[in-house]
Amino acid sequence: MKPIIILGIESSCDDTAAAIWNGTQMLSNVVASQEVHKAYGGVVPEVASRAHQVHIVPVVDEALKQAGVKKEDISGIAFTRGPGLMGSLMVGVSFSKAFALGMDIPMLEVNHLQAHILAHFIDDPKPNFPFLCLTVSGGHTQIVQVNNYLEMEVLGTTIDDAAGEAFDKTGKLLGLDYPAGPIIDRLAQQGKPVFDFPEPRIEALDFSFSGLKTSILYFVRKKEKENPNFIQENIHDICASVQDRIIRILMNKLVLASKQTGIREIAISGGVSANSELRTSLVSLGEQENWNTYIPKMAYCTDNAAMIAITGYYKFLRKEFANQDIAPLARYKF
Amino acid sequence: MPILMEKTYHISSIDELQSLANTLLDVCKSARKFAFYGEIGAGKTTFIKLICQALGVKNLVSSPTFSIINEYETAVAPIYHIDLYRLKTEEEAFNIHLFEYLDSPNYCFIEWPEIIEHYLPEDTVKIKVNTIDEFSRTFLIQAIDHDQTPDSNS
Repeated sequence: MKPIIILGIESSCDDTAAAIWNGTQMLSNVVASQEVHKAYGGVVPEVASRAHQVHIVPVVDEALKQAGVKKEDISGIAFTRGPGLMGSLMVGVSFSKAFALGMDIPMLEVNHLQAHILAHFIDDPKPNFPFLCLTVSGGHTQIVQVNNYLEMEVLGTTIDDAAGEAFDKTGKLLGLDYPAGPIIDRLAQQGKPVFDFPEPRIEALDFSFSGLKTSILYFVRKKEKENPNFIQENIHDICASVQDRIIRILMNKLVLASKQTGIREIAISGGVSANSELRTSLVSLGEQENWNTYIPKMAYCTDNAAMIAITGYYKFLRKEFANQDIAPLARYKF
Repeated sequence: MPILMEKTYHISSIDELQSLANTLLDVCKSARKFAFYGEIGAGKTTFIKLICQALGVKNLVSSPTFSIINEYETAVAPIYHIDLYRLKTEEEAFNIHLFEYLDSPNYCFIEWPEIIEHYLPEDTVKIKVNTIDEFSRTFLIQAIDHDQTPDSNS
């Protein structure tokens, strides 16, 4: 039997990406980068849809080449329908429609946030159903109960800022470059969480990071009045304290979610999963709570098309095909 | 001739902020574009959240820093919650089709508008948030009033 080969397309935010999945293996996973683009003699524009328009064909080309697959071999094309920036989503959706029409293959529409979760099924070890997944990125923070590949329920979400944004904005307050998440992670490794920031009181499994940002702002201001060099002199401890608080907020809700549902299969996904302290905390908390914990490899945590391809694959198996009249959705609930 | 209205409000609780949201919508009834200025942690997103609730938004209003534009539904028309924090150039604003949103007849609430300052529609209401201390803020509201000419006012 001919293998099912899925081309995945992601263009919901900053990155344009394409990947190829053959039912058992990710054959390629390409994100637009200076390198990909240099090969085509172009310059990489910055955020948004114009950049996606410039990137999309070279990225798909590169994904096919790396996979050693011809476009005639593709069984279906999966694309991010939302949530995301309308102008950016439009590029991926339009490309996919044209490709599907040209090659006469089915289209598979994918929710970006469901795809982050299904990134866990690319490599082993894979979580067992039902499991809980904490998705943490620059734009999203949610806990989802995953009952099956395409059956998921959001248990909690942020009511203001995402966890990644909490890292980036507190970094800005401390004078660090954007995006500050990785910088805080690195600086924190040489510090200790000696400063205590309050835990927000948010009901049930929802999150809030806006108040934390404000309390850090006033903490720093107050300390700077006493000592103008407070930030420079204490940057490692401040970063360690900020990071510790953000991660404890996340972990405390995971513990609560596990208690409420009785589920001990615990996964994390999204770009903030790159944070070394978050990974360490999850593993040690898992040992303490007797959980099985899962973290996908880095390339499948940040925005990527591999996760779109694998989600499309499960939809392909169920014959959940999209029509040519499908439109992107800036807000897309599941 | 249109005149510039300017008024400062002192806010020290979330209830006061909620009533300011209602006041703003009431005073600037015909305005649809609102720009919010103020440092990180000033409360721009919190204020917009309250304004959106007053306009009947049932969706969760959250920060669009990463997504750049959030769309919320109301019974009447969509509302655009825009955040230009991550943009570095005017050109990027054009590239995300920002001006299609600004040209629409719908409400647009814009955080970090400095980068497109010169392109804001003339009748944009400007809200400048100043942090006094952890619990209090001043809100300076600037609006061009087309209805009240100096003549009709006298």
